[in-house]
Amino acid sequence: MASTPAKRIIQQVRPILSVDRDEAKRRVLSLYKAWFRTIPFILHKFDIPKNEEQCRAKLREEFLKNKDVTDVRVIDMLVIKGQMELKEVTMQWKQKGHVMNYWKETVEPKPQDFLSKFLSGN
Amino acid sequence: MLRVPLTRAVLAQSQRAGVLATSKRMQSKAPEKVEVFIDDQPVMVLPGTTVLQAAAQVGIEIPRFCYHERLAVAGNCRMCLVEVEKSPKPVAACAMPVMKGWRIKTNSEMTRRAREGVMEFLLANHPLDCPICDQGGECDLQDQAMSFGSDRSRFTDIDHAGKRAVEDKDIGPLIKTTMTRCIHCTRCIRFASEVAGVDDLGTTGRGNDMQVGTYVEKLFLSEISGNVIDLCPVGALTNKPYSFVARPWEIRRIDSIDVLDALGSNITVNTRTGEVLRILPRENEDINEEWLSDKSRFACDGLKRQRLITPMLRKPDGELEAVEWETALIGVAQAVKNAGSKVAAVAGSFVDAEQLVAVKDLLNRLGSELLCTEQKFPTSDGLSGIDFRSNYLLNSSIAACEDADLVLLVGTNPRYEAPLLNTRLRKGYVHKELDVAVIGPQIDLSYRHEHLGSNASIIQDIVSGKHPFAKRLKSAKRPLIIVGANALSRNDGKAFLSSLHSFANQLKPENSDWKVWNVLQTNASQVAALDIGYKPGVDEVIAAGPKVLFLLGADNEAINKDNIPKDCFVVYLGHHGDNGAPLSHAILPGAAYTEKQATYVNTEGRAQQTLIAITPPGMAREDWKIIRALSEVIGTSLPYDNLDEIRDRLEDIAPHLVRYGRLEENNFFAQAEQLAKSQSVAFQGEIDVKQKSLADFYMTDSITRASPTMAKCVQAIKKGQGRAYTY
Amino acid sequence: MALAIKRISSIPKQQLAALSVPLTKKYQIRGNATQVSAPPPQTKTKFGNLSDQDRIFTNLYGRHDWRLKGALKRGDWYKTKEILEKGVDWILNEMKASGLRGRGGAGFPTGMKWSFMNKPSDGRPKYLVVNADEGEPGTCKDREIMRHDPHKLIEGCLIAGRAMGARAAYIYIRGEFYNEASNMQIAIAEAYQAGLIGKNACNSGYDFDVFMHRGAGAYICGEETALIESLEGKQGKPRLKPPFPADVGVFGCPTTVSNVETVAVAPTICRRGGVWFASFGRTRNSGTKLFNISGHVNNPCTVEEEMSIPLKELIERHCGGVRGGWDNLLGIIPGGSSTPIIPKDVCSEAIMDFDGLVACQTSLGTAAIIVMDKSTDVIKAIARLIAFYKHESCGQCTPCREGVSWMNKVMTRFVTGNARPEEIDMLWEVSKQIEGHSICALGDGAAWPVQGLIRHFRPEIENRMKEFKKREALEN
Repeated sequence: MASTPAKRIIQQVRPILSVDRDEAKRRVLSLYKAWFRTIPFILHKFDIPKNEEQCRAKLREEFLKNKDVTDVRVIDMLVIKGQMELKEVTMQWKQKGHVMNYWKETVEPKPQDFLSKFLSGN
Repeated sequence: MLRVPLTRAVLAQSQRAGVLATSKRMQSKAPEKVEVFIDDQPVMVLPGTTVLQAAAQVGIEIPRFCYHERLAVAGNCRMCLVEVEKSPKPVAACAMPVMKGWRIKTNSEMTRRAREGVMEFLLANHPLDCPICDQGGECDLQDQAMSFGSDRSRFTDIDHAGKRAVEDKDIGPLIKTTMTRCIHCTRCIRFASEVAGVDDLGTTGRGNDMQVGTYVEKLFLSEISGNVIDLCPVGALTNKPYSFVARPWEIRRIDSIDVLDALGSNITVNTRTGEVLRILPRENEDINEEWLSDKSRFACDGLKRQRLITPMLRKPDGELEAVEWETALIGVAQAVKNAGSKVAAVAGSFVDAEQLVAVKDLLNRLGSELLCTEQKFPTSDGLSGIDFRSNYLLNSSIAACEDADLVLLVGTNPRYEAPLLNTRLRKGYVHKELDVAVIGPQIDLSYRHEHLGSNASIIQDIVSGKHPFAKRLKSAKRPLIIVGANALSRNDGKAFLSSLHSFANQLKPENSDWKVWNVLQTNASQVAALDIGYKPGVDEVIAAGPKVLFLLGADNEAINKDNIPKDCFVVYLGHHGDNGAPLSHAILPGAAYTEKQATYVNTEGRAQQTLIAITPPGMAREDWKIIRALSEVIGTSLPYDNLDEIRDRLEDIAPHLVRYGRLEENNFFAQAEQLAKSQSVAFQGEIDVKQKSLADFYMTDSITRASPTMAKCVQAIKKGQGRAYTY
Repeated sequence: MALAIKRISSIPKQQLAALSVPLTKKYQIRGNATQVSAPPPQTKTKFGNLSDQDRIFTNLYGRHDWRLKGALKRGDWYKTKEILEKGVDWILNEMKASGLRGRGGAGFPTGMKWSFMNKPSDGRPKYLVVNADEGEPGTCKDREIMRHDPHKLIEGCLIAGRAMGARAAYIYIRGEFYNEASNMQIAIAEAYQAGLIGKNACNSGYDFDVFMHRGAGAYICGEETALIESLEGKQGKPRLKPPFPADVGVFGCPTTVSNVETVAVAPTICRRGGVWFASFGRTRNSGTKLFNISGHVNNPCTVEEEMSIPLKELIERHCGGVRGGWDNLLGIIPGGSSTPIIPKDVCSEAIMDFDGLVACQTSLGTAAIIVMDKSTDVIKAIARLIAFYKHESCGQCTPCREGVSWMNKVMTRFVTGNARPEEIDMLWEVSKQIEGHSICALGDGAAWPVQGLIRHFRPEIENRMKEFKKREALEN
């Protein structure tokens, strides 16, 4: 019941870049390729303690994080953001630490049970 | 030795009856209230009320320096001068009893001029070195100069003769003096002679050359000397260990409870950036009034030293090695699992009720009942011992001690075991008709008392009525027998308990709930431990030969290498690496009383809680949580995960443990006596107390032994013992 | 110093209020005492020139024997027993009728003061304390009595003690009075031996002891409560009032502190009658009085004269006039060092009694008249007095401790003129800030001389400052 009007709304909204999923997919792939090709330059410019292998793995990981996104508009948005990131990296607006952030675990799961809380000092 | 003479008694009486009114007629009538007007607000007060008190009743605070509620009225600062209508001169509000119909003006022109004048005089010779004065920010003179002083100085003589300067005095390692700042309010002198009972302080010289000091160069030797720091309205007497440490506005203040003696004095812990800087007393009429013993006040630097900050396990080569919590818990859990039910625990003097309950629950789950406290209390065969709470409490309550008329102290020196109980007794001695007799060694209680002897057989004589003192006790209206916990922990403690308890019950006055039998505990955890069901004394543990032994801050050497089996795995749970820690195979660092929200029960049976002032250092954890975590590793999780849940458990065991601040009535004296009576009585030897002189007072437990300030006190006293004008 | 520093303004108002005896009403007696005849209406207009037969202190100059034998010859101890037997009320009545006001400085009516003690006992003994700590600069009357007429004082103690039901009298004598103390002690011993005091004193069935206690020479110990403290063996620091000594005095017992002269005239008043005594001087200022004249007069002396004698007449008659004639007079301090100085034109009109001097904005005090002629540096003189008060302030309460030493600093500079004219007003205000704000009257006594100086000699102070400025300008 509820899905029908929702669908209608989705169909009616204005696209950002891509009109359909195929186009969106193309954009994603080209972004991926662009990043892929930049990796050697990144290693050269930033002197990070990673090798190409690891960088590719991280790139793949970052893309796969969003593998379940289906909304074309969201995909487009993510692509735009990815392009911005890429530009920041290639123009060296980012610095070494920013690049290394891709490898940083930002969220540590909060301990829930008593013992892990105790061990972690909470 | 000052015992308030007749004069003050008569004075109080005559003030009550009006100054010259012929007293006989007045005395027979109940004092009628008189009406006075404070700034045109009518207020009904009892005759004899001072102007200052009457003003306080309508919420008007009159500025003062020398006046203090708990000290005799001196009336010498003259800051409290107020105008009374039709009086040509302003009157000193702190000393002048009100008369019927007086119209007091606390904000009139005359009053304000008088205050401004006095303030100007006080500042004329005050150094105004507030930027380098430790009192800055909490200084009465500063505050009152702001509100009542003039906004400019006309002390032109600063360019000519200058101000008075006074040499500083060295009165010990606790109090720093800057006597130039002194405004001669004499609060410290009055405190020393009235409350502390040492006439060390006084004035020398006259007029502007008058100096407050110790007459000759000597230390201010009192176990409650630190209170003069709080009393001093200016920065003349400041806290020496705390000097130049912090400003009052940088400090966080957390209300808490002191655990260094069994009274549970109320304190405020002052912290900054995770560090306890100083401890101040908090007012509680029922316990410490507003005083604090020096040990409780100054031992806080012991909380930063000798601390256990990481779990440790003993390596096979005998070295203790710092490990992670996980490793430590697993190590201990293994030992516990191997031990089966041969697990025991001994509680020391700083253990809170939460930990006691958690340990008890854990051991019970493991099938062990071997839970003991370090300090003994007579229990064996048929003797009720700890079955009735009234047996081991200070039943009459601390506050009521001052109302007694005859006190018998047995095997205790309250002056050092519980200094603030001693000030209560002294208060009763000075202001009321309280007499004290002591059985035990010759000690100085700071007031005159009768020394009945030190042989335990005197108790026998008294109980049987042979001793002349028995007659006095019997004729007393409100007698008290206060027995030291250390006396009861003797081998013949049983005899003390059974004979004195039944004798005390005989003394109980008819139709009154006055309680004669009192035990003065010496450590803060004992009452809670006994309430929860720990057995006093370690004999049972030693006899059982446990495989795993938990020492809960047990540092008083009841347990040592020789009296436990060689293969016994000792786990030390506590906050200081003191006497207990070297014995142990595993060390689990706990939190000190300033670092946890925990329940303590004081010697009168009043439960109170500490609050968290700072976090425990390093990897130390709150004690009950360690036990809870250990239980999970062992595989028998205790059913509480947070403070509320463990407090619910506390309430299940003993509801009074969570009724904070309340004093529970104790009964069952008769039943306790019935059980006690059946015992045969056999006394042996002399009665002794551990703390006889001030030097014995300062270092008694793991915190104070770690405190450099306490060490300095002992050193100063020892150094002074050879000198001419000392003790 | 006797009670010189206790002034009329410090009369315990509460005490009066509690008794509901207003000061202004003529002596109305409370309760059990019988009505006293009203004081004689003012008929005399000339006072002074006391005749020899009306003098009480007949051996003031020590020309006769001061011991018991001589004293008996002069009429001391005559019918003392009969006086005692007439009873408390009679003695109090005579004292009230005589209109005697305390001779220590405050001038509180003696009869009334003694009657405060005359209330039912609560079991505590009562004491009479005789204030012989005569320290007020310029005052030298009590010492003459004690040295030359000690038996008058002892007899006075007995009678006063009887009047207030006292168990004993303590004579607190100033430490510096060595000869006086020695004579006094001998006289006490004689009186004991003659059975005049001690058990069954004068065969009246009344037990009465007299003790002498030597002070250590602090001015403040002449203040009654400080004297009591000192007598108890403590530091001589005034107590707060209330409670008044009549409630809680020496050793916590009801006590009356009286000046030597007050006590010493009591026997004669009882013998010759209160009305006789009241016939001298103006109403409410009656009696004879010892005047001590010192300073720039041709013949400084202590003399017994009638109250209300004009100041000028007193000086001319007994002291041979001011050195260099009356016109050479600069000013007079009329009642001991703590009273304000009065200049010559006021002196010419001044009448030497309590009310007469209050009208001149000064006070009778102990009637120690300090005469200064024009050669005096009056600023330096007052500065010296302030230095004395600074030295003698007990240091207990703030206004006196800090204020007097401040005044001393300022006055020291005024002597040389090293100050600004505004500071005169400041000094005046500082003295006002002390006055009435301290526990005892020493603060007042220190403030008044300064006030007197500023009131009458301000131009002189200002001139000196100008001169100092000029000198300074020349030097630079």
